[in-house]
Amino acid sequence: MNRDPGLRQRLQEMVPFDWSLLRHIGSEPVPYHLKKWWFCLGGTVLYLFIIQVVTGIALTFYYVPSPDEAYASVAAITREVRFGWFIRSLHKWSAQFMIVAVILHMLRVYFTGAYRRPRQLNWCIGFLLLGTTMTFGFTGYSLVYEQLSFWGATVATNLAEAVPLVGPLLAYFLRGGAEVGENTLTRFYILHIGVLPTVAALLVGLHILLVRLHGVTELHFEGETVREDERHFAFWPEHGTTELMIGVLLMYLLTLTALIFPAGLGAPADPTVTPLHIKPEWYFYFNFRLLKLTSLRLSVVLTLAAGAVAFLWPFIEEWLSRRLKFPDALSVLLGTLAFLSFLVLTVWEAFAG
Amino acid sequence: MSLTVKRYVVAALSFLFLLALLLVAYQESRRFRQEAGLEPVVTVANRGCVDCHRKDGPALVMEWEFSRHAQLGVGCVDCHTAEKGDLDGWTHEGVLISALVTPKDCARCHAREHEEFSGSHHARAGEILASLDNVLAEKAAGMPGNIADAVNGCWQCHGSIVRFKRDLQGQILRVGKEAKPVIDPDTWPNSGMGRLNPDGSKGSCHACHSRHAFQASLSRSPENCGKCHMGPDHPQIEIYNESKHGIAFYANRGRMNLDKVGEWVLGRDYSAAPTCATCHISSYMTPQGVYTANSHDVGERISWTLRPVVSTKLNMVVYEDGFKEDFPDTRPLPTIGDLVETLEKVVENERLVSRKVSRRVARIVSWEDRRKVMKGACLNCHNDTYVDNFYKQFDDLVVLYNEKFAKPAQALMDELVADGILNSNAPFEHDVQWTFYELWHHEGRRARHGASMMGPDYTHWHGMYEVAKHFYVKFLPEVIEAAAAKGPAMKQKYEDRVKRLLGRDEHVWQKGLSPQEAEALRKMYEERYNQ
Repeated sequence: MNRDPGLRQRLQEMVPFDWSLLRHIGSEPVPYHLKKWWFCLGGTVLYLFIIQVVTGIALTFYYVPSPDEAYASVAAITREVRFGWFIRSLHKWSAQFMIVAVILHMLRVYFTGAYRRPRQLNWCIGFLLLGTTMTFGFTGYSLVYEQLSFWGATVATNLAEAVPLVGPLLAYFLRGGAEVGENTLTRFYILHIGVLPTVAALLVGLHILLVRLHGVTELHFEGETVREDERHFAFWPEHGTTELMIGVLLMYLLTLTALIFPAGLGAPADPTVTPLHIKPEWYFYFNFRLLKLTSLRLSVVLTLAAGAVAFLWPFIEEWLSRRLKFPDALSVLLGTLAFLSFLVLTVWEAFAG
Repeated sequence: MSLTVKRYVVAALSFLFLLALLLVAYQESRRFRQEAGLEPVVTVANRGCVDCHRKDGPALVMEWEFSRHAQLGVGCVDCHTAEKGDLDGWTHEGVLISALVTPKDCARCHAREHEEFSGSHHARAGEILASLDNVLAEKAAGMPGNIADAVNGCWQCHGSIVRFKRDLQGQILRVGKEAKPVIDPDTWPNSGMGRLNPDGSKGSCHACHSRHAFQASLSRSPENCGKCHMGPDHPQIEIYNESKHGIAFYANRGRMNLDKVGEWVLGRDYSAAPTCATCHISSYMTPQGVYTANSHDVGERISWTLRPVVSTKLNMVVYEDGFKEDFPDTRPLPTIGDLVETLEKVVENERLVSRKVSRRVARIVSWEDRRKVMKGACLNCHNDTYVDNFYKQFDDLVVLYNEKFAKPAQALMDELVADGILNSNAPFEHDVQWTFYELWHHEGRRARHGASMMGPDYTHWHGMYEVAKHFYVKFLPEVIEAAAAKGPAMKQKYEDRVKRLLGRDEHVWQKGLSPQEAEALRKMYEERYNQ
């Protein structure tokens, strides 16, 4: 009589994977500074991304991506669907939180020099993730199909048109025609729920893989005495529980924000009526201000140039250090100036009306 | 650079970033509140006025803050600014302003509305200052040196001629260190619809769009029109309240969308009931889409005039300069391109005078066209047959009043004047003149207006019943009484005249009903009241 092999063995037979590897991966030693929450912003972004995916799928059940029905379907989600307003508000606010977390995470990485050799490629991936996140925000905002989203899309595609060489083609591709219209909404929808999530998932996967392969950057603060056996701790359960606690706190904050500031709805899109104020989302304010200060073409060129420098900064800095003995402090100074410029332009645009 | 220093840099930049986000959020929320109308936009030009008048007249500022103007950043100076040379202008806190905001001022932004209004009956409401009504208020109810009845009564609806106090040299009196002009208190404050303003404009937008909140819901509400369209001589608001339309409005006020910003279209934005504005000036849906009438020419859809002794259908002639003139259907119409001598009333030296102006005809709107536009509103709820039958009922009532009472009474009055019994310069000397005036001006209008707006009680008991009763028991005896004062021959002439009139088919009923009618009447009372 054959003995029943048991559920565990059956599973092992069906999925011939060495599960002990998970334990090995999970027990990856991480540096002691990760005990502090402000070093956990990378995990925060991942957590918010997961919320985006879950709430986004829920919204997809009710959203209709056609100019005639998009606004009405968002109105129905907000006013009629049970808990629709809450899911929509969570989606909106987690997107905002995500952009904030990405920026804070990048600040920390930049100023602690965690982008330097051998992690240059991961900085580039992180930068692409920032761009993806902002594009997520922009396309999502446009799907609401209210006045501001329609006119925001019009301005943004005009900006895209001003990109040297590929601009007109890019704008035509985004709009699905010469003007923002029926095809634009469909294209933004496909980008928002199909292309961007795939790109983001791949980049996140690659980003984490590289972090795992390189290990987390070791930071040693002057004057801090840490015993050798305390310099590292296991990813699981120590760091995992810290991340979980942050997740719970984030969920609490998100719920509170969604309750106090639920996602609203402006007037429906009307291509014949230009609103008094056309504003993109806040994270594009810097670019909008630059546009007003210069010209459409120059602002786009400046933004692209700044983006390219930031994207390739680990390599540029390395090259400068090698050739000109570029001091570390200068990197900090340049980063500070660049970020302060971003802040000033953003606040300026907010108050400029 | 040490890692500790870098840590502080990150902390400082993160703090600044979050601070920037808070600032952006604050500003965004402020802008949202402004756009949603929850917060006024006070521009630099208006900041001083608002700050100071908030202490001086806080409720006034609060009302403005509540207005759509405030949401759009249109403030005190934008409306109250005066031009150099304006009689009512003075420099206040360094800015040339005027207390009096006229349609000409409003036209700086609302040009279309101003143009429509300027050609309307409303803009000419002040021309009543030379009418019998004004004689009654200034002479009959007033006394030399005191025309308070006209000032407080007629002029507050019809409008005053805004005048200034002047010195012995005829110069406008100015007081205070800012040399503020002194307006004749008999003529201001005044929110009359046809106010005659020092800048030559006619009217007062404030009559319907009460300052400083300029609430759409207020001007769309029937009560707003009811300030003037009420009382014994034109009780439109009472008739409306009595009508099915009025009943539906008051029962469904909450569903009327009266606060709607922008266009307010019957059949799209609301459906529960029509208000005065709905039928006379607002937009409505048609099978072809929105009829964007929304005209500030309040008489555009009126096909009968129900105001004079005898009603007539009204055609409208529009001249090339935009001047509009009603042509009763008894007056031959010109053709397009004709040069017509028109009579226009204007203020010269603070007095209303008539001026003849030759104008070329640009467009003719027949009474049928005007009625068609009115019917367009009706058709949002009723079908063609219903609307046509209503107009048949209404037309018949006006014809009945005209033919049975108004025309014979007018003919008798004309004869009395021709025979020298009545002095046309003394319009209220004899009882018959008072009775005749009330017959058409009060009772006759009530009957006609009652029928025009589906008010059964005003049509009959307050209208035709009173017309008939006073025609038979007051007017006709007073005609003979006035004639008798002139001598027996005249008395005899008018007795015969009245006898002939009462011998007409429509009056012979007075001599008695037929036996069948009398029996039916007796039986009805017996069955109904057991008497």
